[in-house]
Amino acid sequence: MARSLWTGSLSFGLVNVPVQLVSAVRDMDLHFRQLHEEDKAPIETQRWCSEEEKEVPFDAITRSYELDSGKTVLVTDEDLEAVEPRRTRTIDIEQFVDLGDVDPIYFDHPYWLVPAGDDEGAARAYALLLGVMERTDQAALGRFVMRAKEHLAIVRARDGALTLTTMRFHDEVRSAKQVPTATGKSAKPSKEELDTAVSLIEALAADWDPERHEDRYRKRLQKVVNKKRKGQTIEVDEGSDDQPAPVSDLMAALEESIAAAKKSKKSGGKKKAAA
Amino acid sequence: MALRSIWNGTIAFGGVFVPVKVHSATEDKTVHFHEVHVDDGARIEHKRICSKEGKEVPYEEVVGGYETSNGRYVVLEKDEIKAAAGPGSRLIDVDEFVQAGDIDPVMFDKTYYLGTQDDGKDAYRLLHDALEKSGRAGIGRWVFHNREYLVAFRPLEGEDGVLAMHTMRFHDELVAADDLDLPSPSRKPKKAELDMAGKLVESLADKFDPEAFEDTYRERLLEYIEAKGKGKVQSLPKRSEASEDPDDLMAALEASVSGKKS
Repeated sequence: MARSLWTGSLSFGLVNVPVQLVSAVRDMDLHFRQLHEEDKAPIETQRWCSEEEKEVPFDAITRSYELDSGKTVLVTDEDLEAVEPRRTRTIDIEQFVDLGDVDPIYFDHPYWLVPAGDDEGAARAYALLLGVMERTDQAALGRFVMRAKEHLAIVRARDGALTLTTMRFHDEVRSAKQVPTATGKSAKPSKEELDTAVSLIEALAADWDPERHEDRYRKRLQKVVNKKRKGQTIEVDEGSDDQPAPVSDLMAALEESIAAAKKSKKSGGKKKAAA
Repeated sequence: MALRSIWNGTIAFGGVFVPVKVHSATEDKTVHFHEVHVDDGARIEHKRICSKEGKEVPYEEVVGGYETSNGRYVVLEKDEIKAAAGPGSRLIDVDEFVQAGDIDPVMFDKTYYLGTQDDGKDAYRLLHDALEKSGRAGIGRWVFHNREYLVAFRPLEGEDGVLAMHTMRFHDELVAADDLDLPSPSRKPKKAELDMAGKLVESLADKFDPEAFEDTYRERLLEYIEAKGKGKVQSLPKRSEASEDPDDLMAALEASVSGKKS
């Protein structure tokens, strides 16, 4: 199982569930190592003291914060914990909400919560919280501190386990008020246009199935690596920077597109093949 | 002040083209630190050292290598890595439209706002209104910074006329619940426990109000650092700790529910 990133307790009223946090996402990217071009030897990153011109071992490094006055203050792990000792070890459930009430714009990183330790009490308290969240279909909101940052978090039941997603605070989500849109009357579509656009959307509709969408970038990169390994040349497609001009007759474009979508469905035509 | 856009291009579905601008929807408010040497408080510098020669390597002499077997690397030039991004087009190509509510939120990664360009505002409005009416989200591909992303776009709720776009995680990047090592308790929760826990959930249920949750840590951390800088670290007030005995779940639940009511 994945490595624990945080250990503490999830507190629900007076019920405490000892938990650990593991990532719900694994890194599937191809990773490149920095090499020295001349001898193809790997590059090592070393940490050097800027004053003494010597390498510094990892345990002799701490953090500092620069105040507005220009003065710097050392900040140790103990300092970070002293600021909010309880939140550093506890996720207090403050509220329950309907998951659908929370706009996904707030969601950041997903984790799984698993009971910490082998004791029966922890497993039972975990099972109870999971059970009640499955039954009520509610998600829990709480705050906790991990890696020098406080997180708002949402906890819910998913596939027979508790999952926690860190969330952005309201002041980390930009207001959408300044986004240029077309709410004016002149841009309002006619009923016919709107109905036709909905028909086009329905003609291109599918059931959501995450497995149908592969990471084509990862595959292509793997291909590039394989080609290069065999000594083949890589063709670099510069692509085009052109944008198609918006059509002047929206209705005509919609109708043509619906006809094309229907035709492609009827002929059992496969969707565009992955490049 | 207008929001700065990070990408301009066109959403294409069927033969309909919707010119859009992409804006970041989120910003990071984390307190950032510098790495320093404990002994003298001096800044730490990162140096690139060649592992064979033991000497510093300037950035221009660094290339990317993919390890194919122990210690053997395939070297790729930067524009060869770029080739994997796919044609660097200015299109967000829509594959399909799905029920927006069917997408589990764990799929969503970063969020952006889509805004209109000067041209094609009516097409933008039509796409927005048609998605709103059908309850669907568009699923497509977007090439940004030499990488292709799977994206979902949908009308932003409660915000008039704005489309939001999420980059998405791929299914094989998600860790399944089956991969977890979950201990099973010797007995399932009793009905009475579930009922009591349900009451507690109910008593804590409310509408989501993002502004009810402030990041108090960020502020307190900065205050603490200021104080430490002046040589006076005040002792922070201790908070009361909850009971730590998980064995008597029922008693803890009852006490929580009655505590809520009083």
